[in-house]
Parts: sequence; C-alpha cells; structure tokens
Amino acid sequence: MRGATSAKWVAGAVIVAMAATACSTSKDEAGGKGGNITVVLGEPQHGLVGQNTAESEGAEVLHALFTGLVDYDNKTNEPKLAAAESINTTDSKTWTIKVKDGLTFHNGEKVDAQSFVRAWNWGANQDNAAEGMPFFSKIEGSEELAPGKDKKPTSKELKGLKVVDERTFTVTLKEPFSQFKTMLGYNAFYPLPKAFETDGAKKFGENPIGNGPFQMDGAWDHNKQIKVKRYDKYPAEGRAKLAGVTFKIYDNLDTAYNDLRSDNIQIVDKLPISAMATVSQEFGDRYIYKPESAVGYIGLPLEQNPEAFGKVEIRQALSMAIDRDAITKTIFNGTRKPADDFISPIIPGYRKGALGEVGTYNPTKAKELFDKAGGVPGNKMELGYNADGGHKEWIEAVANQLKANLGIEVTAKPFAKFGELLDDLGASKYKGAFRMAWSMDYPAAENYLRPVFSKVAIENGSNYGHYKNEEFEKTMAEADKATDPAEGLKLYQKADDIVIKDLPYIPIFTYMSSSAYSKSVKNVEVDAQGRMDLANVELN
Amino acid sequence: MRETTTVGDELTDTKTAGAPSTSGTVGNTPGKKAKKEREASLWSDAVSDLRRNPIFLIGSALVLLLVVLSAVPQWFTPDSPFTAGACQLQDSLKKPSADHWFGFDVQGCDVYTRTVWAARNSIIVGIVTTALVIVVGGALGLLAGWVGGLVDSLLSRFTEIFFAIPLLLGGMLIMSGLGKGNAWTVSIVLATLGWPQIFRIMRSSVLQNKNNDYVVAARALGAGTWRITMRHILPNAIAPVIVVGAISLGVYIGAEAALSYLGIGVQPPGISWGLMVSDASVRWLQAPHVLLFPAAALSITVLAFIMVGDAVRDALDPKLR
Repeated sequence: MRGATSAKWVAGAVIVAMAATACSTSKDEAGGKGGNITVVLGEPQHGLVGQNTAESEGAEVLHALFTGLVDYDNKTNEPKLAAAESINTTDSKTWTIKVKDGLTFHNGEKVDAQSFVRAWNWGANQDNAAEGMPFFSKIEGSEELAPGKDKKPTSKELKGLKVVDERTFTVTLKEPFSQFKTMLGYNAFYPLPKAFETDGAKKFGENPIGNGPFQMDGAWDHNKQIKVKRYDKYPAEGRAKLAGVTFKIYDNLDTAYNDLRSDNIQIVDKLPISAMATVSQEFGDRYIYKPESAVGYIGLPLEQNPEAFGKVEIRQALSMAIDRDAITKTIFNGTRKPADDFISPIIPGYRKGALGEVGTYNPTKAKELFDKAGGVPGNKMELGYNADGGHKEWIEAVANQLKANLGIEVTAKPFAKFGELLDDLGASKYKGAFRMAWSMDYPAAENYLRPVFSKVAIENGSNYGHYKNEEFEKTMAEADKATDPAEGLKLYQKADDIVIKDLPYIPIFTYMSSSAYSKSVKNVEVDAQGRMDLANVELN
Repeated sequence: MRETTTVGDELTDTKTAGAPSTSGTVGNTPGKKAKKEREASLWSDAVSDLRRNPIFLIGSALVLLLVVLSAVPQWFTPDSPFTAGACQLQDSLKKPSADHWFGFDVQGCDVYTRTVWAARNSIIVGIVTTALVIVVGGALGLLAGWVGGLVDSLLSRFTEIFFAIPLLLGGMLIMSGLGKGNAWTVSIVLATLGWPQIFRIMRSSVLQNKNNDYVVAARALGAGTWRITMRHILPNAIAPVIVVGAISLGVYIGAEAALSYLGIGVQPPGISWGLMVSDASVRWLQAPHVLLFPAAALSITVLAFIMVGDAVRDALDPKLR
C-alpha cells in the first residue's frame, strides 16, 4: 500500500572545502651538507622592487636580497646603521647620509649615494604607481613628482635629494622630523643599481639585483619558489652563513606546517591557527612566540555621534567594562595580548601599563562612571565590524561584556568589508562604535600616533572618529622638531598621554606572532616586521 | 482537523449525489463501508488512515512539541539567552555536562538555552511563509482557473516570472539587498518566491473540477458564482494545495536556516539554528558539540514537517494506493 511512499530527506550539511595542495618535497634541499634550507613563503603581490612592496611576502624576500641604510635590532627595534656609515642632522630637517665603503650590488656595481637617490626618485614619481610612494611625501619637492590624480609630474627628481660626493648625499625634508632615521630601514628606501634603469621595473622585479647578503639563484618561479644563494662579496660582518635558501611558495599554511614537522622545510614564520594548540609541546624552544606590531582597538565616532560618545567618562567606562584578559585568552587562545598602551610593546617608547586605570577591567567602577555621565541615548549602542576578517567572535564577546557590565543593549553589526563600514561612517549613515587595528610602517612611537589621531589623518589616514586636540598637535610638532631622538621620544610619550586621557579609541589587544623551525637549523630569529633574519641562520 | 472533516462531509453529499465514480476508495474498503457508510469520503478516509500511520503520529508529535517549544520556550529552560550576563567567557566551549546538557559555545552561552529559543524563528518562518503562500497562491490560482480567459493568461505569465527564480538564490539576492534580516522579512521574501507553486496547483485543480457534473448541476439549480466557488470548487481543489503546503513548510524552514547560515537571514541578536551552525563551524574540530546540537534540531524539525506532509499526501492521494 505504501510502496510508492518516497521520503524526502533534507539534511543540513556543512561542506568543508579543503584546498588540497599537492606538495612535492625536495629531500635534497632539506638540511643536507650543502648548507641549503627551505622556508615558507606566500606568492608576493608585485615584482620584487622595494619601492613597490607593501606586503609581508615580498618584504620577506627583499629583506634577504637588499640591505637598507639602517636595520632594526631584533630585540629592542632600535634602528642601527647597516648600509650607512653615518646619518647626521643638526636640525632634524636636513640629513646628511654617508654610505659605507666597499658595498657592491650582486652584479659588481658599487653601492653609492646615487643608487639611493635613483631608487627614491623612482618611488616618489606617481607615474610609477609604487606602493611605497607615501613614504617620500616628507621629502622636499615630493609634490612635484606626485601632484595628484589627473596631473602630470613636473619633475623627475626630488628637490630635497642632493648628491654631495660619491658616497654622501643630503636629504632635505619639508618639516623637521626627528624620527626620519627610523623610517630608513623600510624597504621603500632600499637602493637600486643602474641595471634597474636599463631593465625596467617589470623585468628587474622578476630577477632583482640587490646589495644584501643573498643574491638571486635563477629567476622567480611564480607560485612555486624563489631561490637565493649567498653573496660572497658581502662585508664579512653580516655575511650569510647558509649557502642558499629556497623560499617555497605555499597557498595553504597547514600544508607548510606539515612539511615543517617532517623537516621538508626548515622555517615557518606564520603558523596556522590549527597548529596553535600543540605547537609549543611539539617544538619546545624551537617555537618562537613574540609580540608583533599591530594593535587592535574599538573606535568611537566622536564627531559623528557626540550625543553618545562625546563625554570622556563614557569612553572610559566602556574601556573599563571590557575584560581584555578573558577575550585574549579564550577567543584568541593567547595569540593576542591585552593592550596597555596605544604604542605596541615592541616599539621603543612603549610604557607598560600606560593606560593605567582605564585599561584595567573594573565593571563596578565602569557602571558607576557610565551612569554618572548619563549613559548613552536610548540605552543602546552598535558595534560595527567587517565580516571578512575573523572579527565576529571577539566583537560579540565585547558586546556581551558591555551589555552585562553597563546594562545597555549592544548589537554587533557586521559589514561585508571594512571599506563599507568606513563609507557608512563617513556618510553618517552609521553612528556606532567600530573595530579598528593599526600596524606600523616603521618602528617608531610616532607611527602609532600621527597616522591614527592627528588632524591630517582625518582626511588622509586612519583617524576615523575625527578626534581633534590642539595640544596633541602641538606636542607632536614639538617632538618632530626635537634634535635629540631621546628628547623627541619623551615628547611623543607626552602626546601618547594626551590620547590616553581623551581615549578616542579604546585599545583592546596587541597581536603576537608565532613561528617554528625544525631540528636541522639554529639561530633563527623573526623581527618585528615578521621577517626571518636569514643571514644569521646556521645548520646544526 | 475538525474543519477539514466538516468540509469533507459537505463534500460527500455533492460527490455521492453528482459524481460517485470520482471517489475511487469507496468500493475498496468493504469492511469499513459496512460499519459506517458516511465516513467513506476522501477526507474521512484520510483521517482514519492517518490515525493508524506511525510516520504521521511521530511526525505530528514532533511538530506539536516544536510549536509548544517556540510558543513558550521558558517552559523548557529557566534561562533566557537575552538577559544581560547570560554568556560568560569563562564558560567558553565547555563540553556538555549534567547541568548544561548541550555545553557552551565560544561566547560562553548555554547551547541548550539557545537551541530551544531558536526554534521560534524557524517555526515562525515555516508557518507564516506557508500561510502566505497558500493564501496568495491559492486565491490567485482560484481566480485564474475559475475566471479563465485574459485574466488567466495575464496571471499565468506573471507567475512564470517568479517561477523562473530559484528559491534560495532569489532569497539570497533579495535578503542581501534588504539588509534587515529577521523571521518576518525572511518569511515575506520566501513567500514572494514560493507562491507560484501553489498558484499552479490551485489553478489546475480548479480547471479539473469546474466542468464536473456536480458543478454544472449546482449552476443549473441557480447557485451563484460565489456559492459554487466556496461550496464546490474550493473544497475539492484544496487537497493537493494542503499536501504541497505541508511538505514545503519543511523546505522553508531549511531555506531560513540556509539564509541565516550565510549571514543574510535572521541577524544577531536574533537567534537561529542556521546562525548557530555558522558561528560554530569556525571551531567545529575543537568543539563539535556547539555545531551538532543546533544542526540536529534543524534536521529533526525539517524531517518532522516532511514526515507529516508525506503522510498527508499518501492519505489524500487515492492514485498512490
């Protein structure tokens, strides 16, 4: 009777798409006698030209191929001279830079003052559309090379760059800037040989000729690998110990991690989330876990929504109602640390516990302060985030805590892209709080303040809440003019204190980086920019 | 159920009077016929059939439970997921225990409480969508089939426009455009895309029935259009509509979960099984229980409605016997 019954089954199936990467392992490269190692890499975005690289993968390779005027200490992040013999200034406006003697590019050409001027002129010219162009905007005459959209550059050379003799050149800035020396280690300031002019950026980027401890060993094999070998004419101090390094390109970090466990590759400087639970047990002291440069905040629309966030007591109450410790421990499994300053812990000038009371979880005090200041209109607020960046969990956790501790309705509001959030904020269509993070361009305290909180950053930067404070502007300008970097740093800290007092953004956490290396190598270090210090790596 | 039986009784009169041959079941069950002659109609037959069908009994018990669950979730759990401080991070991802049967999710919310409270949105979407689809599709189908001519042509072409849009794809498109997801908007969007199916079924059963002898007889006796439609056409044409409606109710619940899973259905702070599955999928290797309980609740709910729908179809469709 019921033979014809057809039951329809609708099952909610979760399809986990796994990108299976077939992975050929090259045993001969793995820690053999030849002194070659293999390390992880993702496919770089552009050709390997320092001026046109603003992402981590290209920067990783460039760091092995080039040596900038300064480099950063792996521990303190203080700038130290590298290709430069001296960098001097008397007024923080005109800088005299002398290049070390005896440095050569991998094709034998001398590294001189002209090689830096050449590179910077190319990077500053808007016709070349280099990613690093904004870094040259502080140099005098940069507006002639980059007059803006729809306009033609009127010059090909920066007025502020003058070659004095073969190894010396001067840089004149538009305004004094005491931290200019710190900027110079960034890859946009790397030198370029004459061959760059004859080859053109495109060809050069496939097989670059640098001045670093390693040189290219054959051209870039796209989506597969980039091979480099030791440059034997590099100065003895800083010369690479390994004979060669293969940057093997992965599109899946889980595969890379598995290859690391079987010693098919030797260093992975970006561990996948799935490894976090077990990696410290498995790799012991070959697991490197250290702070990274980025800071995560909750941003507040001060100008767009003064009724809700205009009072500093409200902002302080919000900050004190957030349990940073619980969020970093449970949501992030310890891969982030609670923030206690606007400046990242890895940067000279960071002060432990600078946020003080407002950075400490205190729900009772928060509620008291919040109620005394009159709360927020309608007793509710929104917390915007971009749904494409894995922020949902921590934003919802913050929303739950604010809800529980302040007794208000808090809604986590997803936007498809961060840009959409910013557009709605700019058009005053969205008036709630928002997530925000800042990662440094160069390791200076100044870089955590001006691009995020200055008046110019409202138009051209990340001051999305439109925070304005004259005293802050004045202190920053004073700090820029300081001739003694230590004095300058003190003034930047004073500016930091002003921001802490006003609390336009609420710092929540700082990021941590985690890397691991196999048994066959030693002396592995990863710097604050997340780059491996390959010149020092040795085989066991 | 009672309403349908009264309609059935009405039906029996017309059928035995006008067209005895259409109800094929009458002669096939002599035992029953001997006991109670008047029950041997399509509807009364279906009811007695369903009473003895275990699939229907289990399915409708589950449906009843789900309806109660969504009406008064506080009978099943003392906590509400909406009170401040309901979720504590220190409970994050704890495994199921005697006190908390389903464990905790990443935010430290009790999964059992959320699973229970999430039933409401699913049931609302299922019932509201189905009701809207039957009312709109049924009324227009009746109109097209009964009036015919230009009205029928126009309505049929108009329906085909909607018919060409796949339910889920169209739902995704409209929901992401609307940007304001909750159970009611999802219901309206799904109903907008779902009514053509009912329209077609209604229209074709009206066309089938309207030239039958008993309609002609009623008209000959001087009955008006309204009376004929309500008394004779609708009761005879409604059976397939009810069957399809019951089965697609489960489909709509599944569609709501799919839209919520994609982040364009029910929005937080609203709770939905699709949303819970989506949230849990990030860490499902680390904490599978957070994903499995809402997924199981969803599967059971959809299954329950489809079981009931299937059983009702079997009972109402004599051709399948």
